[in-house]
Amino acid sequence: MEKENVRYYCTAGNGMESFLIDEVKKKLKAEDVCRVPGKVVFSTSESIQRVTELKSAERLFLLLKHDTPLNLCAKPGQASNLLQSRLLGDIDSWTKAAATWSRLQEELVDRVQKVDKRGKERIEKKRKRENEEEEERKRASLDEKDRKRIKSPQDVEETEDNDGGTDPVSFRINCKCTGPLARCLSSQEAGRVIGVGVSRSLGWKSDLKNPQMEINVNLSDDQWILGMQLTRLPLANRSYLINTGVRSTVAWAMASLAHIQPGFCVLDPMCGVGTVLVEAALEHQDACFLGADIDDGQLQKANQNVAHAALGKQIQLFKASCMALPLPSASVDAVICDLPFGRKFGTKQHMTIHLPLIITEMQRVLRPGGFLVLLLTPQLSVHLKKHLSTGTPAQELDTELQCNTLEHQATFRVSLGAIDGLIQKYVREKNEPINTLSVALQAKSHSSIIRSKTFLSAFHDIMQK
Amino acid sequence: MKLLTHNMLTSHVKGVTKGYPLLIKATEVKVNEVEFNPQFVCRMIPKLEWSALVKAADDLGHRQDLPAELEPDYEKNEDLLKKVHRALLEVEVVEGSLQCPESGREFPISKGIPNMLLNEDEV
Repeated sequence: MEKENVRYYCTAGNGMESFLIDEVKKKLKAEDVCRVPGKVVFSTSESIQRVTELKSAERLFLLLKHDTPLNLCAKPGQASNLLQSRLLGDIDSWTKAAATWSRLQEELVDRVQKVDKRGKERIEKKRKRENEEEEERKRASLDEKDRKRIKSPQDVEETEDNDGGTDPVSFRINCKCTGPLARCLSSQEAGRVIGVGVSRSLGWKSDLKNPQMEINVNLSDDQWILGMQLTRLPLANRSYLINTGVRSTVAWAMASLAHIQPGFCVLDPMCGVGTVLVEAALEHQDACFLGADIDDGQLQKANQNVAHAALGKQIQLFKASCMALPLPSASVDAVICDLPFGRKFGTKQHMTIHLPLIITEMQRVLRPGGFLVLLLTPQLSVHLKKHLSTGTPAQELDTELQCNTLEHQATFRVSLGAIDGLIQKYVREKNEPINTLSVALQAKSHSSIIRSKTFLSAFHDIMQK
Repeated sequence: MKLLTHNMLTSHVKGVTKGYPLLIKATEVKVNEVEFNPQFVCRMIPKLEWSALVKAADDLGHRQDLPAELEPDYEKNEDLLKKVHRALLEVEVVEGSLQCPESGREFPISKGIPNMLLNEDEV
């Protein structure tokens, strides 16, 4: 089966673009990856099935147009005409895209049937081949007169699937104009103009209520991007999760930073409904996951999620306080945690008071060289930074830790809807360090530690093996 | 609660120095069929406290000839891997409790989820 390169784009939540770029390159061997605000455009020959399995994307579109903008504001009276002629001047591109769109829709819908079909096709092809060989053998032994009677396989007409790409489709335009352009042409007006143009030039029927095809139009000062929506629901909506907690895309991104290897044991000490665990477990089928929560209700929902996603073989839950984890020291390979924001956990004060204890416990159970990935509010991160920079763990905890062992490696700011969150990645350093490191770790101020970057990264490489 | 989890859990009652392994007292045990993934089992084995696993499986009546000592060549022994797989992932304690070997404190297991929460005075 020949593999055709198709050009797509995905929308991404604020701050998620770099995760999405990494994901398309890794999973889809994407080419010509282009990043624009809020979107990643890419080409791939992987199946549409694989493309819909992207975990850090919001929505998926088949690219229809990606143009440099025209200055429509120069002649406001001509704006509509210019817009129409520019976008609809090349009708072929629309019909071609529609044909691809139809084909991809079929491939998606036929998902289950396709598996059977593929199996049947394989059997059919084999049978055909065997029949052909039989015929050849028979004909070779016949004389001419008889040969003319028996048709060769090539004469038999093969029926092909109707691709139906040029059938008229019902559509709706979703248009957004941003920047200075919006001053002379509203999103509504632009959408209407394009819609009228499409109906006229292509004969497609406009349907605002229940269209077969949703066409996305984004007109900004930097680019004009048009796409055909490929899935009814955003990719960010997971069919395998019944109870939602933190955004799945963000949960997946957090897990991706923990560098989970086969055989790892990964802990989420405040797992809530288990979103992080589910996303991580689906991505890493050879690792095991532990989830703890203090709340029965949350654990019940997590249990439901685990069962629904059929991940009982990988994810295990227990009830515990994150400040007193029933696990031996240095027993988990990674800790990933969405720290509950002040409001859910009680009062804001509650969370910040317990933060030192929570972080100390996380460090304790994490093995040296292991990664800690947290999702927290910007305000909470300030408290965390303060605590980590003093270099001493929570006073009330009797622990063998003499000092702070977490080294901050990266921070990513992501949108969580109404608010922003920070994903922070830390690595758990070794307790018994070699001399230079020991001196550095005992330094009071975290930020004044001078250490050789290459030395530490070599250290981490060894720990990863 | 699967035995893989039991192998990791420890009692952290204040003052306890040897809170591992926890003694299993099961009132309801279930055996589920779980897809055998030999790579997963091979990766888990080095992380296990082998004697704790054997004892736990034994206590539940599901030891099924797990050897007392782990042989060095376990990766190639598919038979052994399957037995380990069964003990680690297929046997599940649905109801019962886990007992701290030192303090005697019991942690209940309900609907397969162990409750390891301590009271204020125990922390």
